[in-house]
Amino acid sequence: MNPADLNPAGLNPAGINLVACVKWAELRPEIDPLHGSVEASQRSSGFSSSDFAAVESALRLAQAWSDQGQTCGVTVLCAGPEGAEDSLRDFFAVGATRVVRVHLAEQRSSAQVAELLASALMPSQLNAQFVICGDVSSDRGSGSVPAYLAHHLGMQQALGLIGLESTDPGSLHATRRLDGGRRERLLLMTAAVISVEGSVATLRRSSLAATLAAKQKTVEVRKQQIDWPTEVNRLRPWRPRARVLAPPAGDDALSRILELTGAQSGSTAARTLRLDPEQAAEAVLEQLAAWGYLDDSLPT
Amino acid sequence: MPDFDVIVVGAGPAGAAAALEAARAGRSVCLLERGPYPGSKNMYGGVIYGRVLDTLIPNWWEEAPIQRWVTRRSTMLMAGDQAVTVDYRCSSWGEAPYNGATAFRPEFDAWLASKAEAAGAVLICSTTATGLLRDGTRVVGVRTDRPDGDLTAQVVICCDGVNSFLAKEAGLYPPSDPANYTLGVKETILLPREVIDERFAVRGDHGVDIEILGCTGEVPGGGFLYTNAESLAVGLVLSLPKLAACGRRPEEMLAELKAHSAIAPLIEGGQVKEYSAHVIPEAGYKMMPELIGDGILVAGDAAAMCLAAGIWLEGVNFAIGSGAAAGQAAARAVQRRDTSSAGLQDYRRRLDSNFVMSDHRKLREAPHLVMSDLAQQQLPRIACGVMEQLFTVTNPDPKPGLRKIIRGQMKLNNLKLRDAISQGMKALRTFG
Repeated sequence: MNPADLNPAGLNPAGINLVACVKWAELRPEIDPLHGSVEASQRSSGFSSSDFAAVESALRLAQAWSDQGQTCGVTVLCAGPEGAEDSLRDFFAVGATRVVRVHLAEQRSSAQVAELLASALMPSQLNAQFVICGDVSSDRGSGSVPAYLAHHLGMQQALGLIGLESTDPGSLHATRRLDGGRRERLLLMTAAVISVEGSVATLRRSSLAATLAAKQKTVEVRKQQIDWPTEVNRLRPWRPRARVLAPPAGDDALSRILELTGAQSGSTAARTLRLDPEQAAEAVLEQLAAWGYLDDSLPT
Repeated sequence: MPDFDVIVVGAGPAGAAAALEAARAGRSVCLLERGPYPGSKNMYGGVIYGRVLDTLIPNWWEEAPIQRWVTRRSTMLMAGDQAVTVDYRCSSWGEAPYNGATAFRPEFDAWLASKAEAAGAVLICSTTATGLLRDGTRVVGVRTDRPDGDLTAQVVICCDGVNSFLAKEAGLYPPSDPANYTLGVKETILLPREVIDERFAVRGDHGVDIEILGCTGEVPGGGFLYTNAESLAVGLVLSLPKLAACGRRPEEMLAELKAHSAIAPLIEGGQVKEYSAHVIPEAGYKMMPELIGDGILVAGDAAAMCLAAGIWLEGVNFAIGSGAAAGQAAARAVQRRDTSSAGLQDYRRRLDSNFVMSDHRKLREAPHLVMSDLAQQQLPRIACGVMEQLFTVTNPDPKPGLRKIIRGQMKLNNLKLRDAISQGMKALRTFG
């Protein structure tokens, strides 16, 4: 569609605005084996195949509905750092009418990312009729951002789709995988949040002219102000490793469960000891050893 | 009206330097890269010598993404389980303006390409130039693998690497001879910085480059080991036809090098992070293609500008030097409105007047000499044998004289004095 058909706020008064949400993520994260920190690199960051599938799905739907005379626009929305902009600009080359980056410099929880995206998707802003996301991001994504988005925007949701077909403008058929190899066919009407698997579509390759033209395009940047509570890193108490137990004896299931849970065996009575720290530590270790939590080779 | 004044194919060191110089001269430049970012497809097995950057990017060392500055240069001769090492250390190489450095090519190439972009070149990644566009015999652009992917320009500079399909398509290359090529294989091995510092006796950002002869068995070639900040690169360079003939896998031969008593303690406990392989234009001057055609120039590995001369193993500096010369020549030709073969001859003049061609010309026999049986087999064995006899205390027998030891080792390794003198003279003429 012609970008001129969009008003300055990005609204499609007589048309459908499809928004594809993508996440700038570490595609091949380096994880320190000692302390588990994730090292991100600009070069190995990018968008997942399911994000690309979301953009391609939006472009195909827009094309199909445009062919039926409906004005459609595709906006790509990303919550990410400034470093994502070169790659975001490539979405202009494949046919996105607008590309918007909501500034997010650091890792945030799915709920917070969704809150940030939703603030840009509100009717006063991008006014999306369909929001299409990748089902999970490549950095251990939980797939919950689309669900949070649907909650924030008050839209219906259909997540983890494996097929999308356009019908009349503003509605589409979606296929979802169910247990046991079954499939669920859904009819979706505006307004909805959907997420697609990477297998749904492969992002088209842009023409050279469009790639060159995209170099001159500007990614809109929104700096949404959300007061998130300060995150407190909680230190959890050390938990001993689970013990390996022999299979419970018993002729029937009930007796085995009773054996396994120790429900009818005597429990250790609670004790209160008032001791010096050294003696207290000794007593704790002694008790842990008695319960079998400590290796016999360890000094007690 | 062409789309650009200059198209540079390949955003490696040669391509980035060509684009940088052409863009600085005010020409419109498109820099095409097939990988997702510059350097993503590139590998090398050595050191970047940055002197060539002094004029291109003043004080480049303050911003270039360098792993370590090489302050120790060792040449190791291996035979069996023995090794003789000549070790040179120079502290001033660890201070500005520095001499050589190890770097990760994805970082270094991307940095150099960013300079070209900053100068005005348009970088297009994930785009492969699949062929040339011609007007008669004249090259007028390239065809890419993108839809509607034709791109026109007054000059195309091919920096598309060792296999340069574009230069071949332009008829600038004679038929390929596999004997002119080697295969480089490399493992990047992770080790903590302090372990590397301790094992290689360096501190801070100082590093080591070890070149090895005699470690490739029956296949002519060589080995290398150098230090990055928190990893080592260990690898082999192997003659392609001999490797194919021997039927062995390069990774097996690399495993043997890693297990050698001179190398194993240096890499012990490391975690292999990456294995990579690349073809190298080993024969240098003797395999260079025609560098200039109507509307086309060839630079870097595409022009076989890689110096594999035994004691000198250099490539990136020759790529940058030739690329910069190509960029300057192309810009000048566009300005003069003559991008024919004659109009682009300035490229040849620039190469002839600097180190790129004079070094290659002077050392044109060196690759052959380094790959000879004498250098590959006899010299390492003789050196190790001499050292063994020299330093083995054989009391109560008296110490043998050095001359006797050398003669004995030469005889043992079937090297006649006459041949040794003849090869020595040849080496002197080549390197002298």
